[in-house]
Amino acid sequence: MRFTLVGLILLLATPAWGVDLPPDASVSGGKTMAAKVIVNSGRLAWTPYKRDLGRWLTLSYQDRRATPEPTPFEMKAPTNGDAARGKALAWQWCITCHTLPGDDWPGTVGGPMAKYKQFKHPDALVFQQIFDARIFNPNTVMPAYGTFGLLAEQDIRDLVAYLQNLE
Amino acid sequence: MKTLFSILAAVTSFAALAQPEIPYREYEPLDQYEPHVSGDLKLSGSYQYWKDPAKLDYRMAGNPDENWKLNWKFMDPPFNQAVHGGHFALDRGEKLFKQLDAHHRFAVCLGAKKGKLKHLRAGYPRWRDDLKHVAGLEEAIEYCGARQGRVLQNGSYDNSAISLYLASLGNGQPIAIDVAKGPLKEAFERGRHLFHTRVGAFNFSCSSCHTHNIGKRLRGNVITTPYGDAAHYPVYRTQFVLQSLHLRFAECNLDTRTQPLLPGSQPYTDLEVFMTALTNGYPISVPAERDW
Ligand code: HEC
Ligand code: HEC
Repeated sequence: MRFTLVGLILLLATPAWGVDLPPDASVSGGKTMAAKVIVNSGRLAWTPYKRDLGRWLTLSYQDRRATPEPTPFEMKAPTNGDAARGKALAWQWCITCHTLPGDDWPGTVGGPMAKYKQFKHPDALVFQQIFDARIFNPNTVMPAYGTFGLLAEQDIRDLVAYLQNLE
Repeated sequence: MKTLFSILAAVTSFAALAQPEIPYREYEPLDQYEPHVSGDLKLSGSYQYWKDPAKLDYRMAGNPDENWKLNWKFMDPPFNQAVHGGHFALDRGEKLFKQLDAHHRFAVCLGAKKGKLKHLRAGYPRWRDDLKHVAGLEEAIEYCGARQGRVLQNGSYDNSAISLYLASLGNGQPIAIDVAKGPLKEAFERGRHLFHTRVGAFNFSCSSCHTHNIGKRLRGNVITTPYGDAAHYPVYRTQFVLQSLHLRFAECNLDTRTQPLLPGSQPYTDLEVFMTALTNGYPISVPAERDW
């Protein structure tokens, strides 16, 4: 319930595509454009980027939007996570920084996750770390997957189930 | 009806005024940097390995776990002797430059003193009286081209080719911009702040990677120091053809799910000033290439 509320507030606080985008952003019709360099040409070609990024804060001085603030979220038991689904999500989102079992060329920005079960962290704590790690460490580089609306509550529950079962 | 409208208008403008000046933002702790390439010794320490571009260690270049310590300088000349797309771009740049400079108006517009072109690259970004702001070399090329009716958009192949040609004339010259005073100091400070400002879907700042996680792996990419990067741009990349520094910023933005800005925008120019100051004292080495 609280998650839906957070989501709703986020949605309301997020301007529609293009509305609040600063004038120096590379967008066209509210869509994120990527520059393409054309050999022997004095002009750039602009092609639509595979994702629209306009709802997030940019480096523009004219960008008046706020960063979503650190948000606590109390996960209610039981966790009811699907570890197999969590694994797929972890390989998609987390492996850039964390070493996961079975990966030959893992990220090293975050810690290794192999044998995570041994730490016996409460599920709610692991959930909060993924939902918004800034609650524990304001300077963390780990993205706030819940607060920024990147992952849904069930996604995070699945990730918790996956991590808590790594032996 | 009309009164209702003006009351509404008054209320809205009051609401706008009452809004806090600066919306909630997050910054990484603001580090100090030295406006000289040797400042890296206090950051990543990798400078000792790439200090002398002619004397890099072949073994480190060939070792994927070690080569980040060379700051990819093994892909710059003189170490890198390969003939690559950067050389073709250089030829194109020379041809275009000579066309535009037939009456020496182009070189003068760019700020070459007494026709001396070899100091141009090392002294940009600089304050331009005509533009009334600090501009990078590519912005100046676009501006001076336009004065002759030639379209040379910032970031385009032809613009970067000319920039590359001018840089090549200064090969070996140390980058030298003075950020100790005036508008360049202000731009440097703004750039330093931007470098630490968290943006995008992942809430990263440039410093999240390039200051605080140097040498760490993001899957297949190893993060390198921000010192010494500005001396090899524009750079040849197979995937991106010819990439200006501003387009590299845009790439790092896209890679971290952040809406990029336009090449030549003020924030990117401020970042360019910041990163160029961190390259002060390092010799220009073009044409360079980088991985894909
Ligand atoms: C940009 C790099 C990055 C990414 C991507 C990332 N993390 Fe992290 N993570 C970190 C860092 C750094 C830490 C160390 C603690 C801190 O700074 O918050 C961490 C800590 C953690 C912890 C706590 C570890 C402990 O000691 O118990 C968990 C759990 C975790 N991450 C899970 C995830 C999951 C799940 C994902 C993917 C949804 C993910 N992380 C993605 C960087 C990252
Ligand atoms: C998620 C991590 C990350 C973030 C955030 C990031 N970068 Fe990068 N950047 C990289 C990686 C990885 C590379 C390629 C390897 C290298 O040279 O470090 C790179 C390369 C670069 C290069 C090219 C270096 C060269 O030798 O040619 C520049 C310049 C650069 N980044 C600037 C920036 C700026 C400015 C920002 C902020 C707007 C930024 N980066 C944000 C990871 C990041």
